Amino acid sequence: MAPMELIIELILMPLVAFVVGMMMVLMMRRIAAKLQRRIGPPFFQPLYDIVKLHSKRTQVSHGLIHDIGIVMAMGGYIAAETLLPVPGMTGIAEKGGIITLLYLMMIPSLGLALGVGQCANPNGSIGIARALTAMLAYDIPLVIVIFGVAYAAGTTNLVDIIAVQQAGGFETWGAVQMPVLAIAGLIAMHASLGKQPFEIYIAPAEIATGPMVEMSGKYLGGLFVMQCFQLYTTSVLYVSLFLGGGTTWFDFLLKSFLVLAIPVSIAYLFPRYRTEDLLRLMWKWPVMLGLIGVAFVL
Amino acid sequence: MNSINKIPVIEEKRTNPLARVFDEFVRFCRSRSLFILHYCTGCGAIELPPAMTSRFDMERLGIQPMVSPRQADILLITGYVSIKTLKRVILTYEQMGSPKYVIGICSCTVNGGMYWQSYATAKKLDEYMPVDLYIAGCMPRPEAVLAGLQKLMDRIHSGEANSWEDYFRNYDYYLGNQQKLFGENWQTPTDIITEAKHYDLIGEGTLGKHTQILEQHQKPLEALDMRLGHDLKEPTE
Repeated sequence: MAPMELIIELILMPLVAFVVGMMMVLMMRRIAAKLQRRIGPPFFQPLYDIVKLHSKRTQVSHGLIHDIGIVMAMGGYIAAETLLPVPGMTGIAEKGGIITLLYLMMIPSLGLALGVGQCANPNGSIGIARALTAMLAYDIPLVIVIFGVAYAAGTTNLVDIIAVQQAGGFETWGAVQMPVLAIAGLIAMHASLGKQPFEIYIAPAEIATGPMVEMSGKYLGGLFVMQCFQLYTTSVLYVSLFLGGGTTWFDFLLKSFLVLAIPVSIAYLFPRYRTEDLLRLMWKWPVMLGLIGVAFVL
Repeated sequence: MNSINKIPVIEEKRTNPLARVFDEFVRFCRSRSLFILHYCTGCGAIELPPAMTSRFDMERLGIQPMVSPRQADILLITGYVSIKTLKRVILTYEQMGSPKYVIGICSCTVNGGMYWQSYATAKKLDEYMPVDLYIAGCMPRPEAVLAGLQKLMDRIHSGEANSWEDYFRNYDYYLGNQQKLFGENWQTPTDIITEAKHYDLIGEGTLGKHTQILEQHQKPLEALDMRLGHDLKEPTE
């Protein structure tokens, strides 16, 4: 691949992810509104929110680490987008592989932990402690699931995993070949989104949105951008692992939005668990399902 | 005060031809995305849940509730403000990021309402902080709340809703009224004068005799002690 082409892809992939991610945020809020029999926000609402937050006059910074933390939170996901192949663009996915992607997806939580730590707000500290605990909870089933998929495909290269699934049409999709792993992956994905019933670290009524409590203006705007990337990364990773990626943009986006609609529809029907309940649940059911799935694959 | 007035105010020249379009876009986004912090002091709070949930659905106007003052744009005060409450309201207001808007709901925020004769109630909210909009009524129905919010959206879009600058430009007046209620030792953690200097919002009324009283006893803010576990022992002499 020509270097110029690669640079264009590296710029385009996060941009596409951002635009698609904003539509995913809109879908999430529209689903919530429909479930609560409301009309819901207008089409460009995620864009209005982000522009408004970045155009605030007063920007309250709590220090250098606070600034860097937000940059890490966004940067981790922006780097992750270049490792996620989309139809027509692979970026550096062939060289990176799925293990690098997993590492990059942890950086935002760590960046938030740094940034929130300097705010010295007790609600924020509780929130970030819970966020890291939640990461510990959902990462174990996620790693088991990804190990199973990579073992079955014989490679950790995401482009090859997609190619293997697309080889024989619908029958070779990961979800058809390894249904137990797909279910475990769906639960782990739901937890990694941090939506109800796994919303332990936002918890507006209890710890005042946890990590976001001291964020104002462009800092909160950065976190809104991060949320767009988070929804995109999680659903596209699931589509690449289990639903055969996408051959065209149409079926790629259709699959990503449908996959995201499952946890989001469940989310707004439930209250939330306590931290220890989340740990117990995540280390019991998805891990058990994942291990059974891996046993089938082996 | 004289030395302050001599500081030349640099008028920002917008040379970019798209600046006007950009400003218009930003104002539009500001008016279509409002995060509310509701300070529910009195009975007016009961009218907010119907305005937010499925019956009237605020979110279709881009208005959503937020939980911390840092994230919010609108401070919604729904009911009478006792003197003790007013301290918290002012602390909350000063922590919000500008541009910020204050809405007083119910007649109690307008003139004290049925608490007019109470010794413990602050009668007029706009003596202590600039109020953008009053929604009168005892209590106003959700339709009235939404109509008021839409009026505020129009004012933000046309650029008229900038009373938050008034708090910086006339800080002496607001501080004077606050000192009348809370005593001369009143001090908030937010340093409004420094903030006004930083954002070029120093006006005729920023400094005055009330801010002089404040400067006499003002203690500088100190960083919080960041360590695990607190020393519970009494300080020995």
